[in-house]
Amino acid sequence: MGGAGRRVVSTTTSSLLAERRIPGWLGSLTSTDHKRIGVNLGILSLFFFLVGGVFALLMRAQLAAPNGHLVSDNTYSELFTMHGSTMIYLFVTPMAIAMAMYLVPLQIGAVGIAGPRLALTGFWIWLTGGVIMQSGWLTGDGPGRDGWFSYVPLSDSSNTPGVGQDMWVVGVILAATGLLVMAACVAATIARHRAPGMSLLRMPVFTWTAFVTVLMTVGSFPVLIFVMVLLYLQRQGANIFIGFNGAIDYQDLFWFFGHPVVYVMFFPYLGAAAEAIAVNAHKRWFGYIAFVASMMAFSALSMSVWAHHMFTTGGVTNAYFAFTSTALVVPAGIEYFDMIATLIGGAIVLRASMLFALTFFLQFLIGGLSGIFVASPVLDYHANDSYFVIAHFHYTLFAGSVFGFFAGVFHWFPKVTGARLRESLGKLQLGLLVIGTNMTFFPMFILGQEGMPRRISRYPTHPGWATLNRIETAGAVIIALAIAVFLVNLWVSLRRREAAGEDPWLGHTLEWATSSPPPVHNFDRPLPPITSYAPLLDRREAAEAQVSRP
Amino acid sequence: MLRVSALASVLPGVPGLIYTRRAYDDLFSYYAPIGIGVFALFALAIVFAVIRYRGRPPSAAARWHENDRLEGAYALLLACVVAFLLYLTYSAEHKVDSVSAHEQPRLTVDVVASKWEWTFSYPAYGITARSGAVGDQPLVVPTGEAVRFELSSLDVIHSFWIPALRFKRAAFPGHTQNITLAFGSTGLFQGQCAEFCGLRHPEMIFSVRVVTPQQFTAWAARGGGS
Repeated sequence: MGGAGRRVVSTTTSSLLAERRIPGWLGSLTSTDHKRIGVNLGILSLFFFLVGGVFALLMRAQLAAPNGHLVSDNTYSELFTMHGSTMIYLFVTPMAIAMAMYLVPLQIGAVGIAGPRLALTGFWIWLTGGVIMQSGWLTGDGPGRDGWFSYVPLSDSSNTPGVGQDMWVVGVILAATGLLVMAACVAATIARHRAPGMSLLRMPVFTWTAFVTVLMTVGSFPVLIFVMVLLYLQRQGANIFIGFNGAIDYQDLFWFFGHPVVYVMFFPYLGAAAEAIAVNAHKRWFGYIAFVASMMAFSALSMSVWAHHMFTTGGVTNAYFAFTSTALVVPAGIEYFDMIATLIGGAIVLRASMLFALTFFLQFLIGGLSGIFVASPVLDYHANDSYFVIAHFHYTLFAGSVFGFFAGVFHWFPKVTGARLRESLGKLQLGLLVIGTNMTFFPMFILGQEGMPRRISRYPTHPGWATLNRIETAGAVIIALAIAVFLVNLWVSLRRREAAGEDPWLGHTLEWATSSPPPVHNFDRPLPPITSYAPLLDRREAAEAQVSRP
Repeated sequence: MLRVSALASVLPGVPGLIYTRRAYDDLFSYYAPIGIGVFALFALAIVFAVIRYRGRPPSAAARWHENDRLEGAYALLLACVVAFLLYLTYSAEHKVDSVSAHEQPRLTVDVVASKWEWTFSYPAYGITARSGAVGDQPLVVPTGEAVRFELSSLDVIHSFWIPALRFKRAAFPGHTQNITLAFGSTGLFQGQCAEFCGLRHPEMIFSVRVVTPQQFTAWAARGGGS
C-alpha cells in the first residue's frame, strides 16, 4: 500500500509532554524529544571522549621514553583503566546510541521515540553512572585500576581495596543500565512506530545497523549488569567467583557482553559511513538485501565469538571460537563488496563526509584483517595481551568508530543544526586524523610482535622500542590536533552559520524530507510515498522520468 | 641488557618435537600475505572507483543496485577463504596443543607466578630460581628437548609469555596447567607477565637462558646458579 499523503496522528506521550516545554538548558535536559535526548547524549559523550583522550595523552607521555617516570605505576593503572572504561562505556557506545536515538525515528517517519520518558530516564541513569565512575578520582584510593574488564581475583577487595574501585563497578552498572534502557526504546520504536509503508525491508541502511545494534545491546548488556552486580557482591565479601572455574566464569560472562559490545561500537558508525557514501555517490546502497542479511549474520555470530578473548586461558574450546570468529569474514566481506559496488557507476562528490566514510572503510579494514589474525589461536598465543592486540582493537574501536562518526557528523550536522560545517576544516581534520591514527597505532603491531605487553607503565631499553614509542606519542598529539580542529569547526560553523536548507546533499532517506532542524513532531507535512529504502531518491528518479518523457 | 633476538630459523631436526615458534611462523606466512593482499585489493578498488566516477552530474549515476548471483558467488568465495584459514589454523593448533601435550618431556619445571615474581623449580634436581621484582635468576632450559612447564599462580591471574617462542599461557591461582615447549637455539631470551596483575606488573620479567643439553646437564649437576 502507498503511504502517500498519510499523516500519522500523534497521540504519544512524547508529543503531549513536548507541548509543555521548559525553556533553557533545564528544559533541554528534561525534554522527552528524542532529538534533544540524542543531542544531549552526543554532547556529553563527546565530552567524555575528550576526558578519555586526556588519559590517553598522559599515558603516551609516560611511554614516550623508556623507564618513564611522569606518573607512578599506580596512576598509570588508573589511567589505562579509566581510558578504556571512559571510551567504551561513556563515549563510543553512548555515541552510537545517541545517533540511533536522534536518527531512527526520523528515518522511519515516526513522530517520536517509543517510551520517551523511559528514554529520558535511561539518559539520566547513564549520566549518573558516568559521574560516579569518574568521581573515583576524588577518593583517597583513586578510581578503578584493574583494567576495563577487571578480572577476578585481581578485582576482589583483598587485591584491590578501596571505594574508588567500588564506584567503578557501580558506575559501569548504571551506565550499562541507562544504555540498555535507551536501546530498548529505539528497538521498540522500530518495532512499533514505523510510518505506513515503511516495512522492515524498506528501512534505511543506517536504521538497519542501528536496529541490530540495539538488539545486541538488549541481548548482551543484561549479562554485563549481572556480572558487575556479582562482582560488587564479591567485593562486599560474598564468595561468588571461586578458584579457576570462578575466574573462567567471570571471563565468560564478561566477554559474553564484551564482544557484542564491540559491534555495538561499530555498526551505527558503519551505517553512517554507508549513508554518506550512498548519498555522495548519488546512487542507492548496493545489495540491500544481502547487506541486511549480512548484518543479521554478523550480529548472530558476534554473540558467539566471546571466548576468543580467552584462547590463552586453557579454559575454553578454542577450535569452536576460532571457527565463529573467522566466519565473520563472510558478512564483513559482503559489506565491503556492497560499499565498492555502490561507488561503481556513481556520481561521486568528495565532500568531507564522503572522505571520512571512505577512510573509515580503509582504516577499519586494518582492524578487521588483524582481527582474522588474532582469531587464530596459535597466532593469538603470541598476540594476546600484547601491543599487537592494542593496535588491532584501536583500528577497530577507534578508527572503526571515529571515522564513521565524523562521516555522520559532517553528513547530518546540517540536519541537526540547520548549518553546515566548514568543508576545508573538515578535510584538514581528516588529514591530521589519518596521519595521527596510523602513527599512533601502526607501530603497536610491531611492538607487540617484538614482545611488548600491554598495560606496562615502564619498558626497558630494548632496541627499537624507544623510537616506535616516540612515534606513537607524536601520533597521539596529532590526533589531539585533529580533534581540536573539529572543535574549532564546530565553533566557527555555529557562530557564523552557512544555512543548509532541508536537503543540502540530495539525501535518500526521510530525515531529509523535513526542515533542518526538524520540528518537535519531526514532520509537519505529509511524508513522501515510501516504496523502498531510499524514498527521496525514488521521488527524484520518478520526477526525472516525468521530465524526460516526451 | 636482554635482547629479543629471533631463534635460529633452521631448527635442529628432532622428529616429533613441536616448536611453537615454527608453527606460528608457518601460519603467519599464510595469514600475513593474504591480509596485506586483501587490503591492497580493496584500497585499489576504492581509489579506482573514486577517480573513475567522481565529478559526474548526479543524473549520470547508474540506477542498478543489486546482483544476487554475484553476491552469492562472492559469499561462497569468502566461505572458501574461511575454510582454508581454518584448515591452516586447526592443523597448527593441533600440533601446538594436542601433539605437544603428548610429547614425553625430558625435563619438568614448576612455574609459580605470584605478585610480582616468577619461581622456577626443577623437582628432579632440587633447584629453584626466582625472577621478577625480587631477583633475576634466569629460567635455564636445554635446546632441542621437550620441556614441560607446570604453571600455576599463588594470587591473581598472571600470564607466562616467552615472545621468542611466540607462546603464552595464563597462570591461575589454585590450578595447574601443563604446557610443553621446545627451544630451538641457544641464547638469552626475554620473558614476562602478560596479564595485568597489579602495581608492579611491569617488573614481573624474567630471562630464559637456553643452553645445549650438555651445558644443561653440567648446570644441573652444579645445583644451578649462573
